[in-house]
This record gives sequence, C-alpha cells and structure tokens, in this order.
Amino acid sequence: MTLGQDGLWYKDAIIYQVHVRTFRDGSGDGIGDFRGLAEKLDYLQELGITALWLMPFFPSPLRDDGYDIADYRSVHPSYGTLDDFKNFLVAAHERGIRVIVEMVLNHTSDQHPWFQESRSSRDNPRRDWYVWSDTDSLYRGVRIIFLDTETSNWARDPVSKSYYWHRFFSHQPDLNYDNPAVREEMWSVMQFWLEIGVDGFRLDAVPYLVEREGTSCENLPETHVVLKQLRSKLDQNFTGRMLLAEANQWPADLRPYFGDGDEFHMAFHFPLMPRMFMGLKLEDRKPIMDILQQTPAIPDPCQWCLFLRNHDELTLEMVTDMERDYMYDTYAGDKAMRVNLGIRRRLAPLLDNDRRRVELMNGMLMSLPGTPIIYYGDEIGMGDNIHLGDRNGVRTPMQWDGGWNAGFSSADPESLYSPLILNPVYGYPAVNVDAQKRSGHSLLAWMKRIISARKSTQVFGRGSIEFLHPANHRVLAYVRQLKAEAVLVVNNLSSSAQAVELDLRRYKGNILVEMFGRNIFPRIGDLPYLLTMGPYQFFWFRLRRI
Amino acid sequence: MGNLRHIEGFGLDESSVLTDDFLRQLISVGEVDLLVGVPTHNSAKTVGETLQGIRVGLLKYFPRERAVILNPDGGSKDSTREVVAAASINDLQRSSDMYALRTLPCISTVYGGSPATEVALRTVLAAAELLRAKACAIVSPEATNITPDWIERLLRPVYRDNFDLVTPVYRRHKFDGLLLRNLIYPMTRALYGKRVREPYAVEFAFSERFGSHLSEMQVWDHAAGGVGTEMRMTIAAMAGGFRLYQTFLGTKPHLDRSSADLVAAMRQTVGTLFWSLEPNLQYWSINRETESVPTCGAEHDLTTEPVRVNRKRLYQQFGSGVGELEPVLRSILSAPTLAEVQGIAKVAEDDFRYPHELWVKTAYEFASSYHKSVINRDHIIQALAPLYRGKVYTFLLENRDASGEEVEANVEALCLTFERLKPYLLDRWNARE
Amino acid sequence: MWEMIIGELDHAMQELARGFAHLLPRLLAMLIIALLGWMIAYVLKVMLRGILRIVKFDKLSDNAGTTQMLNKLALPSSSELLSRVVFWVVWLGFILLGVQMLGIVGLQEYISRFFLYLPRLFVALFIVFFGLVAASFFSRAALLAAVNADSPSPWLLATSIRTIIVLFAVTMAFEQLGLAERTIVVAFAIAFGALMLGLAIAFGIGGRDLAKQFLERRFLKDKQEPKQDELSPL
Repeated sequence: MTLGQDGLWYKDAIIYQVHVRTFRDGSGDGIGDFRGLAEKLDYLQELGITALWLMPFFPSPLRDDGYDIADYRSVHPSYGTLDDFKNFLVAAHERGIRVIVEMVLNHTSDQHPWFQESRSSRDNPRRDWYVWSDTDSLYRGVRIIFLDTETSNWARDPVSKSYYWHRFFSHQPDLNYDNPAVREEMWSVMQFWLEIGVDGFRLDAVPYLVEREGTSCENLPETHVVLKQLRSKLDQNFTGRMLLAEANQWPADLRPYFGDGDEFHMAFHFPLMPRMFMGLKLEDRKPIMDILQQTPAIPDPCQWCLFLRNHDELTLEMVTDMERDYMYDTYAGDKAMRVNLGIRRRLAPLLDNDRRRVELMNGMLMSLPGTPIIYYGDEIGMGDNIHLGDRNGVRTPMQWDGGWNAGFSSADPESLYSPLILNPVYGYPAVNVDAQKRSGHSLLAWMKRIISARKSTQVFGRGSIEFLHPANHRVLAYVRQLKAEAVLVVNNLSSSAQAVELDLRRYKGNILVEMFGRNIFPRIGDLPYLLTMGPYQFFWFRLRRI
Repeated sequence: MGNLRHIEGFGLDESSVLTDDFLRQLISVGEVDLLVGVPTHNSAKTVGETLQGIRVGLLKYFPRERAVILNPDGGSKDSTREVVAAASINDLQRSSDMYALRTLPCISTVYGGSPATEVALRTVLAAAELLRAKACAIVSPEATNITPDWIERLLRPVYRDNFDLVTPVYRRHKFDGLLLRNLIYPMTRALYGKRVREPYAVEFAFSERFGSHLSEMQVWDHAAGGVGTEMRMTIAAMAGGFRLYQTFLGTKPHLDRSSADLVAAMRQTVGTLFWSLEPNLQYWSINRETESVPTCGAEHDLTTEPVRVNRKRLYQQFGSGVGELEPVLRSILSAPTLAEVQGIAKVAEDDFRYPHELWVKTAYEFASSYHKSVINRDHIIQALAPLYRGKVYTFLLENRDASGEEVEANVEALCLTFERLKPYLLDRWNARE
Repeated sequence: MWEMIIGELDHAMQELARGFAHLLPRLLAMLIIALLGWMIAYVLKVMLRGILRIVKFDKLSDNAGTTQMLNKLALPSSSELLSRVVFWVVWLGFILLGVQMLGIVGLQEYISRFFLYLPRLFVALFIVFFGLVAASFFSRAALLAAVNADSPSPWLLATSIRTIIVLFAVTMAFEQLGLAERTIVVAFAIAFGALMLGLAIAFGIGGRDLAKQFLERRFLKDKQEPKQDELSPL
C-alpha cells in the first residue's frame, strides 16, 4: 500500500499519538525503541490508524521526557539509531501510515552544544542564539507555565553570570528567534527530517517563540512572521507535508496560527477538550456548545485537531476559575491527581472506567469537526499511575498481553523505564491487547468499528457542522454535511435515559439510516423528530433521500 | 420510584394541571435540584427585575446545581410570558453579564380559570414532583426589591440544612400587617405551638418531602372556597411535625392589590385558620409550650416612621358594627362576652380600650362558633371584622409613640394571653349548647 | 193489630239488626284501620323526629328564625312540630281511609279531594319554611356587607331584604294553597312595585352622588388613590 497523493490527507487522518519509549522494546533493554515500534505497525494498521505522531525521540538528558533536545539531527541511543528510524518510516509508509514528528522550536536542553557555547562567554558567536539579560526584570508579568516547579521565567546562569529566558523548565533555555541564524538553522533541521521522509511536524510551544517588552510574550505578530516563513519554505520544497501547531490558547487567539492558509495546516483545539469532560459531568451541553460557537471559522485547507487526552495533564488553563474548581472537584478529588493547572489522569480512570462514557467521548471525538487523535493505550482503556512524578503517570508501558512485562519488553521488570500498572482493575493482566483481541465486544474491537465508520465517509473530516438546539439540554445534536452527504449525530450526555425532540424540518423527507447497524429509522416529517436514548448513548444517522 | 397514590382516581379525576405543552417542556428540563416558582398575572412591569434577581442568586450561590425557574401564569394579557422566556440561559440565549456553568431553563405555562394562588401552587407542586426537585421556592413577581441573597436565604435551609418549610420575615412598619400581628400570629402560635411570624407567606421555600405531603393532602381542595392556600400550608407544616425555619428577607415588597380589603384578607387567613382547627383538633388540643423557630437574620424588624392613620373611623366602625350586628353577634358570642363588648362600645373614643383578654375571648368564641356552624361560616368571618377594627384602634392608640421593641413587647403580651386562655377555647369547643 | 205492630217492629228490628250486621264489620274494619293508622303514624313521627335530629333541622330552623317565632307562639320546636303534624296528617289519612270503607257515599268525593290537597299543603309549608331560611340568610349577608362597607343604615337594608323575601315566599305559598290567589298576587305586586318605585326615587334623588361614586369605582379602575388612612392588614 502506498500513500495517497492527496494534499489534504490530514483532514481524513486518524492520528495515533505515541512515545517510542513506551510502545515496544525491540532491543531488550527495558526501553521502547524503533525496532519494537516497527514490529507493532501491523497492530496499528489493523486498528485503522493512518498517521502516527511521535513524541520527541532526539538525544536528550530526558529531564522533560525528551522535550529538552540536545541534538536535533539524531536519535536517542535508547530508542535506536537513525537507520532504525528510517527503516521504521519505510515500514510505516508501506502500511499506509504517515509519520508526524515532534519538533521543539522554542527551546533546547541546556545540554545542547549550542547552549554550552552560548553561555561560555559573551563574545561567543552563538551568544545571540539564546535570550540573555543582565537582570531578570525584562518581560515582567509574563505568566509562568510550569507553576508547580518554576518560580520565574528567568534563570541565572553561573557560567556567564547573567540571566537566560525560559518559558518552560529552567533547563530549557528559549532560543532567540530574532536572530536570523537561529531561524536558518531550525529550517535546516526540519529539512533534514523532511528529506528522510517524515510527513509532518508537530511544532511544540509555538506561541512563545518571540518576546517583546510590555507584552504577554505570547502570540506576537513577530512569531507569526517566523512561522509563515517556515511554512512557505516547506511548501516550496516539499509536497503533501503538514504542520501542526501546539498552542494552548483561546480559539480567537488560535485563529491567527492558520493565517490565510499560509501558516499552520492544523492546530489543536485545546479549549474544547476540558469542556467535553465538563459537559459530561454537568450532563449539560452548554459548555461544549459555548466553546464551539465561539470557535472562529478557519481557512478551507486548515483543520482542527481534536483529542481527549494526551501525554500532558488535562489542561485547565483555558477555563474560568469556576469551571476549574468544578473540574477539580469532580474529576480530581485527590490532590495528588492535580499538576500545574490540570489533571494528570488517563481517559479510562477519568471516566470511572465506564465503558459507555468512554464510547460516548470517543464518539464525539470522531464526529466533531476536526481530525481525531488517539492517545496510545486509550484504545484498550489503559489506566494511570498518579504516584509517578510529574506527568509520567500517563506514560507507562503499553500493555500487550498478560505475560512477562505485559509483552512490552523481554528485559528484567526492574530495568523497565517505568513501572507497569498492576492493580486488579487497570493492571496489565486485566487490560491488554491480546485479551481484547479475543473478544468481539472488547473496547479495542469497538474502537476498530468506530474508526472504520468514521473512515467510511469524508463528511466527518471535511464537512460543515450545523448545531441543533433541542429543548432537552442534556442532548448534543448536530448535522455534518459535505456536498450531498449528511450525517446526523445525536449524543446523550446524561447518565439516565432521555427523550429528545429534534427540529429536522430542514431535512424533511430524508430517511435515517443508523451507521453502525445500518437499520432504517423513520422518515423525517413535519413534526419534531422524537428520539429516546439510553444513558450515554449516541447515534450516527446517515440522511438518505430515497 | 414515584408514588402510585393517584391511581385511585385513575381516569376519573379532574383534568391534570399540566398541559401537554408544559409537560413537553418539563421533559426537556429533566431532573433538577432546585426549582423557583414565580406565579404571575399581568406582571410584565415587575417580573423582569424579579427574574434577574433570581438568576443572579442561583448563579452566585448554587452555580453547580441544576435549577429551573417555573412560571405558572394566570392568563396575562401583557408581555409577561415573553419576559419570562427571555430569562432562560442556554446555548441560544447567553446572558452577557453573568457566567453560567449550566443551562438555566425558564419555562412558562398558562393555567385555565381565573388567576388563583392554589392553582399556581398546584402546578408548581406537580412540576416539582416530576422533576424531583429537592428544594422549591416561590417568589412573588412583585418583589422588585429582591436581592440575590434571597435565593440563598430561602433555599439553603431546605437544600443544605434539611428544613421542610421556610417562611419569610420582613422589615415592616410597626403599623403594617396588623391582622397578622393581632390575631393570626398570636392565635396560630398559641394553638400550634410554633412562633412563625408570617404564617401567611407569599414568598417561601419547601422541601421535596413537604411538597409531596401537600400534594397528598390536596391542600386546595376544600369547602372554604379554595382560598387561603398559604395559611393551610403553614398550618399543615406545623401540625405535621415538619421542620420549620424563618429567614429575613428585608422590606416587604409593596403589593398594590387592594390591601385595604379587610374582609377578603380575613377570609384567607382567619377563615382558613378557623377551618383548620377541626381536622387538626388532635394536634392543637394538647397543651404544649410554644417553640421558637430557627431563624436566619432578625426575627422582627420594625420601622417607626410616622404615618397618617384615621383612627377615628376605626372607632366608629367598631361602634356601629357592634350595634348593628347585635342579632348576629348574639348567635356567635356568649352572653357575658357580648355584654362586655357592648359595654366597651359605649365608652368614649379617647378612653376606649379593647383589652387583650376580651379580644382573646372574642377570637376563641368566634372560632368555636365557626366550628359549630351556628350560622353560615362566611358570615361569622364577616362579623368579626368590626370587632377587629376596634382592636386595631386600641393597638394604634397604645403604640402611637412606641419604638419597635415596645411594639414587640406588646405583641408578645398578647401572645401570652392567647396561650394562657387556650383551655377556654377547648371548653367552648367541647360544650354543647 | 198488635201482631202487625210487633211483626213490623220485628221486621224493623231485623232490618236494623241486618243493617247493624252489615255495618258492624265495616265499623270494625274502620277501627282496625284507625288503630293501624295510629301505630304507623306514631312510628313515622318517631322516625321523622330522629331523622330531623340527625339532619340538624332544628339548627336550620334556628337560622331561619322560625324557632324564635314558634317560641313566641308557645309552640314546641320545629322538628317536634313537624313530626306531630306529620303524625296527625297520617292518622287522619288512615281514619279517612277507614271512613271510606263505611261506604257512605257522599264522603268519597271529599275524602279524595282531601288527599289531593295534601301535597299542595306540604309544598306550601316547604316554601314558607325555606323562604324564611333564605330571608334570614340574605338579610344577614346584606347586614354584614353593609356594616363592613360602612354603608349607611345597614339594619334598614337587612330588614327590607328580609321582608321582601318573606313576602315573596308567603305569596307563593298562598298561591300553592289556592287561597285567594289572585288577590294575594295582585296585592304583592302592588306592594313590591311601590317599594321598588320608592327606592328608585330615593336612590335617584338622594343617592345621586353615591351612584356616581359607585359607577366611577366600577368602570374607571385606574383611579385608585392609595387610601392613606387604610393600613394593610397583611
């Protein structure tokens, strides 16, 4: 199977987010690697995945799980060699799976040779590659992102006896994008990987590239200029590649990252995600509708990226205080679950391991406008370990079977990069791929079915969305439409059965065909369309005029 | 699971208070924690402010709770219902000044017949039962001085502290609400043993438990012409062993309904009180100490600004009433009491006093005559009006220059007299003519 | 000749005896019926007394003011009176039935007319009774309303209403009884008409202002100045 040449492939993609370290250990040292990942590509293909997003695998002191990069043109020895990566890439493309690589533009590790040079003296040619100041009084008032560990955005460097700017951990100094040399070099890095064959980049922490005094140092126009330059270079030299922005901002502030279709192809819709969880707990569609109605329209070739969970905490930065308190109280009663401004739990534990809720959330993920991202392990309902520091609780080894090390690695259990999950509910003997493959009714089987249903039509990835406003506020209903095709999606956010009347007069005359069982439902007439729904149930109806 | 008690009347009952359309709206609202009822009739001028106060109160004090505002409307000809519908907070109608975590529906229904409190209350009770509301409050649409913390004061005792009925306490002028202070409050307190200052409550809150009790009792369905629902409710709470609470709400909103129609007011309160004595005989005939009711805020708050009062007229009405109604009073009052009353009627205006003890005896004899239906019951109530006027005259005279505390002390003395003479009522009640 | 006289006497005696023999059983029957009637009437009286007591008829008649009236006439209470009346009527009826048995021809007609008259008598009594009840009720209602509304001379109003209703009831009763129908009706009409006319004149001339106020209050609702000297009772 070869990859299609469709320039908008990312609109129809099903993305799987994984860290190579966590997936499968091919070398037997207790740490996942590219050899192992390549072994499991069949599994991903069967699941229906069409794109893989790999988290940073570059050489790094690993003080921020690889986001502190020490060498941009290589692979961390624990994960294999550059050749291993190239082999893996070829194997993925053979199975029709594209590969998106993480690229951290904003900062490097303080172990990176560039920083070592930059700090060595004020006259060093690379001095200007980072943001230095003699005092820590510049850019006062800019918010601190890692609230739990950092107290300032400036760190004092004992070597050069001055301060350097870091929006993230203090061991991750920010690169200085006002320096053209920096910009050249970063493009060259990207080019390196594009020539190897990667299909896209997820650009980490893009709002913070450029700083200016008297601003919040986020989303500045100068930052957009830098990004547009990168994009135009990409378009000039390569086809069918994609740039995905990681910018945790309000929708209105996210819009500029799409430019006029000349900046990012895709961006994460961060504010939607906590509101989906909130809507579920409140049993009210209002938070979800509010944010979606506030989401601005984006240029045609652009696309939102939707996700339920990822490797970070479930961020509550983009919600009001009242909402944050509500989320804390209902989803993270134990304070150990909270980190920075978020909740560090996986999908299944957040939803009390309730199969119906997991299905409903995935149903919304697959039917709302955008490209869905599945976090590794969530397709089998893996649990988390909140006693591991920082956000490592959601980055435990993938659970393949109930045997030795859950089938992740042949090494000694003590040498694994992270302990396995062992409790009777989420532990690997209970939750693993092998067991779920044996049952036609497991979560894994269900995920395959829903991915397949999603892929059966382009309406979800490319169509428009029109919201219905049924009087019953516990039901979220909308119609996705692309040219002549239309799909009605109805979600019951409540834990109890509901009756809902939908005003479908615009679609009068259509017969409803339920997409999973393919059974027909009554034709739409003049009267409100009555549906009765079980707890957390959802329907996808194709509208057919016959 | 819901009560099946209404199965008895299955198919034979009067038509439901819930129209199909309203029922559909209720289905959409679903289960709620809090329900606030606002009964209206042509209230478009004032209901907007009231609703805003309620919304702010709900969003501020109960932001996470599921709530609904219900409006049983008696067939308004003005834009009342539109104002109500515009108060919803949902994904089509966001409120610009307040942040709402949840949808706050505001639904309205029209009930047939003439505007009546008991039909409105019945609608609210039916809706509360279907929606399984844990706490309900009723707020008058004329409450333009409503502050958001009214909602907190009314609902919190029910929702969080498990009380069953919350009655209001208002800041009043010392000469306002005299019927309550001179007859209703003292008599209710003496007989039912609870110091509820405003047994006739237009704003109140109740629990799910008490709501189903009211539905079962069919509070509205009796011979006194269907009025006086408010009083019957309070008495039901007192006699039924429910937990009572009082909450201070500030100045009483001005009702411009004909507040001067004494006889109508008496029918609703005194008539209901007398009527209630029969079914509750077992309860009030036991001698008990009066208990105070837990209260949030001041229990009484009297303002004393000067106000013009026509006392002379009251005196004249008393005198002419006693004279003209002599044959009627003869059937109602005992001979000695009647003689006393006629005696004081002869006294000159400045020296006229209607002593506490005589008033209490009057009230009790009226109550027992009501019980025996010596003449038509409505006539008994009407006959009390001139005598009450005499008592009011005395009250006004005695408290002309009194401070709030002194008036309170006066009322307290009257209450104690009612309590002390309770055996007298029992004697009259049980005596055979 | 003596033999003829004795023979005739004998004959007459025999006739008498025959007549007697003819009459005696009938007389006996009549006495039996009368006795039976007495017993039945007595039972009915007791039953009726009981029923009326349960129904609290006395209280109703108290309301009507009939008890007072009867007391003045030194008659027993109304339920007692009614029971006794019923007793006598029933017994009389049985006696008449017995008399009918005697076969005295001329009496038949009168007896049947008596029975036919009875219902109308009862109806008339009913009308009077309930007329009195209504009169008492409405006059009291008017009295109370007038006193509470501060109207002038409430007693006059109450009494006039009572009089009118009583007159009305009495007239209807007489009509029922068929006694001097036309006279009564005409007299009533004249009296009633005169009363109404008088009231109209009085009201029209003397009560002009009052009427004006009344109409104003009725039809011009918005001009309700708050009566400053009226305090709100609630």
